[in-house]
Amino acid sequence: MTAQEVRLCGLLLQEHFGEVVAKVGTHLLKSGAQNLRTIIHETGISLDLVKKSLCVLVQHGTCVFSSGRKAPGSPTEYRTSCDRILRILRYPRYIYTAKTLYGDTGELIIEELLQRGDMTMSSTVKTVADRLTQNMEEGRSMDYSEVSSAFSKLVETHFLQRCPPMAGAGTKDSGTPATPATPAIPGTPAAPVSTAPPTPESFPDCYRVPHVTLIGRGKRRLSNEDGEDQRNAKKTKMDSETHGDEGIYWQVNFERFHLHFRDQAIISAVANKLDQTSSEIVRTMLRMSEVTTSPTATCTKPLSANEIFRSLPSSYNIPRPILDQYLTLLVDDPMEFVGKAGESGGGMYVVNLHKALANLARATLESVVQERFGSRSARIFRLLLRKRHLEQKQVEDFAMIPAKEAKDMLYTLLSQNLVQLQEIPKTPDYAPSRTFYLYTVNQLPTARMLLQNCYKTVANLIERRLFESKESKRLLEKSQRIEAILASLQASGAEPEQLTEVEEMITAPEKQQLEALRLHINKLDSAENQVDETIFLLESYVNSTMSVY
Amino acid sequence: KYCSKIKKKSLSVSLCLIKELCQQFPHGITDQVIQNDMPHLEPQQRAMAINKLLSLGQLDLLRNSSGLLYRMKDMQSTSKMKGSDNQEKLVYQIIEDAGNKGIWSRDIRFKSNLPLTEINKILKNLESKKLIKAVKSVAASKKKVYMLYNLQPDRSVTGGAWYSDQDFESEFVEVLNQQCFKFLQSKAEAARDSKQSPMVQRNSSFATSHEVWKYICELGISKVDLSMDDIETILNTLIYDGKVEMTVIAAKEGTVGSVDGQMKLYRGVNPVIQPTGVVRTPCGLCPVFEDCHEGGEISPSNCIYMTEWLDF
Repeated sequence: MTAQEVRLCGLLLQEHFGEVVAKVGTHLLKSGAQNLRTIIHETGISLDLVKKSLCVLVQHGTCVFSSGRKAPGSPTEYRTSCDRILRILRYPRYIYTAKTLYGDTGELIIEELLQRGDMTMSSTVKTVADRLTQNMEEGRSMDYSEVSSAFSKLVETHFLQRCPPMAGAGTKDSGTPATPATPAIPGTPAAPVSTAPPTPESFPDCYRVPHVTLIGRGKRRLSNEDGEDQRNAKKTKMDSETHGDEGIYWQVNFERFHLHFRDQAIISAVANKLDQTSSEIVRTMLRMSEVTTSPTATCTKPLSANEIFRSLPSSYNIPRPILDQYLTLLVDDPMEFVGKAGESGGGMYVVNLHKALANLARATLESVVQERFGSRSARIFRLLLRKRHLEQKQVEDFAMIPAKEAKDMLYTLLSQNLVQLQEIPKTPDYAPSRTFYLYTVNQLPTARMLLQNCYKTVANLIERRLFESKESKRLLEKSQRIEAILASLQASGAEPEQLTEVEEMITAPEKQQLEALRLHINKLDSAENQVDETIFLLESYVNSTMSVY
Repeated sequence: KYCSKIKKKSLSVSLCLIKELCQQFPHGITDQVIQNDMPHLEPQQRAMAINKLLSLGQLDLLRNSSGLLYRMKDMQSTSKMKGSDNQEKLVYQIIEDAGNKGIWSRDIRFKSNLPLTEINKILKNLESKKLIKAVKSVAASKKKVYMLYNLQPDRSVTGGAWYSDQDFESEFVEVLNQQCFKFLQSKAEAARDSKQSPMVQRNSSFATSHEVWKYICELGISKVDLSMDDIETILNTLIYDGKVEMTVIAAKEGTVGSVDGQMKLYRGVNPVIQPTGVVRTPCGLCPVFEDCHEGGEISPSNCIYMTEWLDF
């Protein structure tokens, strides 16, 4: 939990849940596991608000509770972790992926689940159907069965999973989706004290869709119900119908999305380096091993060339010998995306996942050095990555850069900690004239450092966005008021002159300012998403190296 | 008196005889050979004769594994040294031994055990006589190495094809770099457009280092003759730029361009990823990234780089 991560988590919590939750969340991040009383005491927030904040955090899966460490029966302790909160940054990407894979229905399902944390299938289906119906033309509505089938598809491909049942929660949460098990009640003493919360995957029913009786169509909200709905939006609607899936809550399976992103990154890298057909072959291989490969595997299960040939999409009918040639080329490529694991079945091939991630991380590091310091510094950086340890003179010779400039560049890289100096003494006293000084680059520590820089960058972007909105707060409020007046005038049937009169209340320079503000905020938003792509690559790389040990 | 006259005569005779022997065996003769040839000569007289020849500068004394060797000295060089004294001859000898790598003045001092002032005087003398010259080393620009006047300095001293007058020719290297890359890139594109089977495509996008060398020579952009090794160093820099990749294949001996039964093949490649997300934001390239904190002098709220970038 580094300072940059905590800062970013605080900002994300503030944007999505508000000040109080942000305060409680960052406090828990900084101080580890604590019980309710300590939290209240140290943050100085009232019991009521703390309870509500903890509710929100638990609902979204960011906070876990367990019985105290000191003795069974001691008050429950609450713990948060950075990873889950940092996922909030990636929500837009998840929603977009669901849209590309499963259309609008999928997109809305994922969006609802991300917003609410966890929900039962029936309530999700109903809400999504209502939303879809709202956007359709008059007289048409969305059938529940369509939404249910989209939901089932998402579960089949493991994008959604059941929340693990809480020990001792039992009958406390029935019916209403938005009330989680109240945290103030400690778990029953008989429940085993486990140090790690059970993973959702450890339950056998994780991906089983329950039998739900859902018949009906989405309801369109009429305009006079608007005011009522707004009041009820936050309150939980007591559902008088039951559908046979009480107590079964579903959440988004982030790991599965991450595997999907990783596969996409590998496929686009192959497409850039080689050609479209090779990337299609790799895509087929990855698709075939989606469910058979564990998330932390170094490479996929071996696939025979015969299987690959059969599973290629029909639009690419390439003859069998050509496929063999493509596979051989993929194996021979220095990037080693694909490896050969045997000769049976026409050749057994695997996709080297960890190697591909390491190569992508290395390309990211090189690109950062190139953009920041220039192509000649990038040449020195790549040279050191290849040759590991080099003396000053050797660096100049290999890179063919004049001595003075090479020295300057090396020292700049050294001061930014991208390059390290290794001393090898010839004599036991480290006399400078009798020591070898070798320059070297260590990929993993450099990647970690860059990752922290990315977190700081995103936090900077968010802060700038908040600052820009705050600066123009007055203007924004004015424009909102004018829009509200316009809307009400239109609804009550006003004449065009009145409308133009109201519109002119915003002067032209103010309109320009608003336009500029809108552009700025969009730019900052998209920049956050771009930096998140880098964060994803580097995080996957760092995690892949850790899982080996 | 008569004895000494005979001795002198016999001495000069033995001198001539020894010189003849030396000329017969240009690689040098041992003491044993002289003894075999002139058995009547006593060891003492032999020693005197040899010493006389040595002091006259007509014989060279060498040592090999079996003992001492005497060799005829080159008449030309001995004529050069006429008028120089022994010390100069010693220094000249040392410089000559250093060959075309040259030798530093401090090393001359160590080898000859002469004081510094003497050495400097001798070196100035020899330079004025145009027997030696000083060459600036490219490694340490203050260091001067001395070598014989008519010798061509070795590559390690002048830096080879990339240095002209002690200056590294960066533009020349850049031009060569770009030309090689263009050649490899066009070859790869031609291979891609040929729409043949992928294996053939890849193989035809390769170029051997020999081909690249021929292309560069024919372009004629270099005033200096470049060897294949020079071209390979340029191609290596392209590898470090991430634009080119290399493989080594086994080649039959005698194939054009093969060295020790191997050939190096190069081809142009595309980058694996686009420039990564973080460098598209001002923070990724910011020179004062470390100093930026909320509420400080430099903070996201008042960052000028961000302001410029947002208005772009």
